[in-house]
Amino acid sequence: MTKGLKAALVASVALTCAGGVALADDFDYGSFPGYTLRVKLIGGTQYENLYTRIPEWEAMTGARVEIVSSKNHFDLDREIKQDIAAGDISWCVGSNHTSFAPQYGDLYIDLTDWIPQSELDQYVQGTLDSARVDGRLVQLPRVTDVSNLYYRQSLYADPDNQARWQEEHGTELAPPTTFDEFRDQVIFFADPPNLYGTAFAGKDEGASGRFMEILRANGGDLFDEDWNPIFNSPAGVAALQWFVDIYNAGAVPAGTVNYTWDDIGQAMAAGQLALDLDWPGFAAFYADPDSSKIAGELGFALAPVGSAGVRGAWSGSHSFSVTEACDNKAAAVSLAVFLTNDDSEMMEAQAGNLPTRTATFGEVIDWFNANDQPYMADMFEVWQGSLAEARTPPLIPQWIEVSNVLWPQLQAAIVGEKTPQQALDDAAAQAREILEDAGIL
Amino acid sequence: MKFLRSPQAAPFLLLLPSIVVILAVVAVPLLVSFWTSFTPYNLTRPATLYDFVGWRNYRRLMGNSDFWWAFGRTVVFITIALNLELLLGLGLALLMNNIRKGERTLRTIMMFPMMFSPILVGFMFKYLFNDAIGLVNNALFDLYIISRPIPWLVDGVLANLTIILAEIWMSTSVFAILLLAGLLALPKEPIEAARVDGCNPWQVFRHITLPFLMPFIFIAMTIRSLDVARAYDMVRIMTNGGPAGRTELIWTLMVRTGYQNSQMGMANAMGYVSILLSIFFTVYFYRKLVAARSFMGGAQ
Amino acid sequence: MSEGRTIERPWQRWLIRFGVFVAMALLCIPGVWVVLTAFRPNIEVLARPTVWIPEVWTLDNFRRLFGFSSTQQGLPVAAYFINSLVISLTSTVVAILVGMAGGYAFARYSFRGKGALFLAFMLSRTVPGVALSLPLFILWGRLGIIDTSFGLILVYMAINIPFTIWLTDGFFRQIPPDLSEAAQIDGCTRWQAFWKVEFPLARAGLASAGIFAFLTSWNEYALAAQLTRTTASKTMPVGLMDFTAQFTVDWTGMSAMAVLIIIPALILTFIVQKHLIAGLTFGGVKG
Repeated sequence: MTKGLKAALVASVALTCAGGVALADDFDYGSFPGYTLRVKLIGGTQYENLYTRIPEWEAMTGARVEIVSSKNHFDLDREIKQDIAAGDISWCVGSNHTSFAPQYGDLYIDLTDWIPQSELDQYVQGTLDSARVDGRLVQLPRVTDVSNLYYRQSLYADPDNQARWQEEHGTELAPPTTFDEFRDQVIFFADPPNLYGTAFAGKDEGASGRFMEILRANGGDLFDEDWNPIFNSPAGVAALQWFVDIYNAGAVPAGTVNYTWDDIGQAMAAGQLALDLDWPGFAAFYADPDSSKIAGELGFALAPVGSAGVRGAWSGSHSFSVTEACDNKAAAVSLAVFLTNDDSEMMEAQAGNLPTRTATFGEVIDWFNANDQPYMADMFEVWQGSLAEARTPPLIPQWIEVSNVLWPQLQAAIVGEKTPQQALDDAAAQAREILEDAGIL
Repeated sequence: MKFLRSPQAAPFLLLLPSIVVILAVVAVPLLVSFWTSFTPYNLTRPATLYDFVGWRNYRRLMGNSDFWWAFGRTVVFITIALNLELLLGLGLALLMNNIRKGERTLRTIMMFPMMFSPILVGFMFKYLFNDAIGLVNNALFDLYIISRPIPWLVDGVLANLTIILAEIWMSTSVFAILLLAGLLALPKEPIEAARVDGCNPWQVFRHITLPFLMPFIFIAMTIRSLDVARAYDMVRIMTNGGPAGRTELIWTLMVRTGYQNSQMGMANAMGYVSILLSIFFTVYFYRKLVAARSFMGGAQ
Repeated sequence: MSEGRTIERPWQRWLIRFGVFVAMALLCIPGVWVVLTAFRPNIEVLARPTVWIPEVWTLDNFRRLFGFSSTQQGLPVAAYFINSLVISLTSTVVAILVGMAGGYAFARYSFRGKGALFLAFMLSRTVPGVALSLPLFILWGRLGIIDTSFGLILVYMAINIPFTIWLTDGFFRQIPPDLSEAAQIDGCTRWQAFWKVEFPLARAGLASAGIFAFLTSWNEYALAAQLTRTTASKTMPVGLMDFTAQFTVDWTGMSAMAVLIIIPALILTFIVQKHLIAGLTFGGVKG
């Protein structure tokens, strides 16, 4: 908790000096004339904007950057595993993610040995902490994701809805603050096929992660301190029941069990969802009148709390890592820092991503206000408030594997093939097997 | 050296480049993956490659009900898809055979789906059959046929049917073009003779056209059973085996095990069981083809 | 073309035309929808009630693709396109040459193990790409041909050779050996006789093997995704995945790229399809 408090404190300090002095950039980017740095970066339009800054770094250091691979994250993950399998690491900087990082073992160096503490202090500390694996800082976070709520203001402002809600629930209609309220409102708003309450990612890590978030909000967790799976606890059953309830009520599209982020994003942008618990990366997409029908009425709220009164705050960060096999680690570290420095983070934030440098929050809020996009400024203020509670999935190499036995069981319960208890018991047994095989249990 | 210049060497010299390429690209990698199927090979722990565990992966597979469900579903998927493609392709070829104007353009249109990469077909059908924003449901709403969205890719039966539909859309053209080629090579005389003898069109088709087409049908079946696995790209995009494993095929299960869970050894064991399946289908159709050829009296 | 039906009443003719129309519509509609999507703004894709024909025609998706738009960096589409073209064409041509030699050997010579070898070639195609991908990757890595056009050309050759062998084998069997023997009596070597007599007759069969090989290579994704990494060798289907970020899929952009993938294949098919039918008719059937 002290970490969280500290992050919040740092964040609020940043807010008060919003728009203020740019912090002195005292990191030494070095000089590497003639050196060619080979990198593997995550591709896709959303991420590649940042790479337009690379020529600046090349000019500054005299090195040249060769992008040897540029793919989406799942393909990049597969490619890196292939490289490990082939024992052929011929590149220096790689894009990484907190959910993937623990799988890679000692592929990447501990950056604390290479970056001065004064520089590291400028990152959001909670984010930096979640970037560690076994205490080693294997990655430098680039953008952070924490789940929070998007809602459609018009639905909440509608007098009919307000009156009807008042009558049914005896409270004012306002964005939900608990998962129980969230469930009730999702069912309340649903008017299929024109409007659904919400949609959730029903497969892959998206499903496991959302379940984990509600489980933690209910006071449970996936594992105990000794890595025994405990997600089949009453808190877990209640979390899964939440999905089952809204699914059975027809408040979510039936196809949601197949959805991943792109489907949810499209449905929300099409004006088919009332609420969406989702990532900050969507804000710019939803707010763009060319791509979204709800551009003018987008509202932001903190994620609801569970029965334990806390937020699950599922979180993860995109990041850059430097390989152990790199022949010029100084150059590699220099690029990784450069791509996450204040200017780079400002660029990411202006595109609607949550930056990882504390100072950037204030600056970007001012920037959006000055550029007549107050709703984006709102987004940053809301999202920043949840950073203090951000929690990643368990940082063990087996997380993805556990997730892959968990989500099919969640699906089985949601579509009614098993009871929640039965599904979670089955998943817990499989997860235990994985951890036993890995020698953790 | 003497052998190389002798006439007996000629066919081997001619075949040598083909053999070299196949050995390099298929046989050698196959040996490597065959070895890994006897190890607990984990992608991120390269050392496990040298850890021989015998039949353990295969033994575990025998008792793995998820695997056998996927296996059975794959057999059903291949059987239904190939047979429907054959029927529809035959119908399409018969129709096209009666067209005399603009056949060049029409044939190109007929082959239109073959221009689509399987991965693109996957995205296409995923969006068409999305229950909330998909074109199919929207069209049915607009026509007042349905009042509740149909969960195409969720329902256990519908999801599998949708995948089969996508596969049929993608590959019927291959059957049609191969069978049309057969129809165009059909000798005219026996048909005319039968007609003069008073046979109706169905009898002509049943007793003359169809027997002549049989070898073409087996060729088409062999070709398709060889590359039906490319449907994997499509299924991965559409459902990736979900929901709740209802559309899990052996290919989706294998890739998830191998790359996401990093258990390459286990995935390759699955691969070898699935190769047996493909070999069975291919050899079956190949023998049918050889039989049909001798029926036609061609040289062996 | 075929004069199959001599007695045909007008209503039968109309029925056939109607049947062809329905079949073509079913084959085309999903594809045409992708093409239309390429010219729509995203907001129209999501619209309900459905907007069938775009109300707003836009080239924005293509502009984004080529990087003419101010907000985004373009994708290296030109590089992908050239890679695809080079890889598909080279692998097709070489596979045809190599496969033709093999097919000729099967058609003209008898030798031990012929049947088994023939079946072995075919069975080499039953191996699922997944079982091959990792060992291939490791092997190609050792050879240093990861992310090169050459590496991918080699793989596509292996995919296309068996089919070419099969088709050309059937085809050469159709050509009476006497023709080549007569040419040899006239003083040609066997080599010359092949190119002057047998090759021209086999051209149609080769064209059909060629178009199948080309379309297979042009559309292949699974192995290309493993063996390519950068603009040095990434092909168009792999490039499609550039439109999938972690959270979003840019379906309009993807459709625009799909149009660029489809057009060359369509043109080529249109040009070659006459040979295609002729080639398939003769090849393959007679054993």
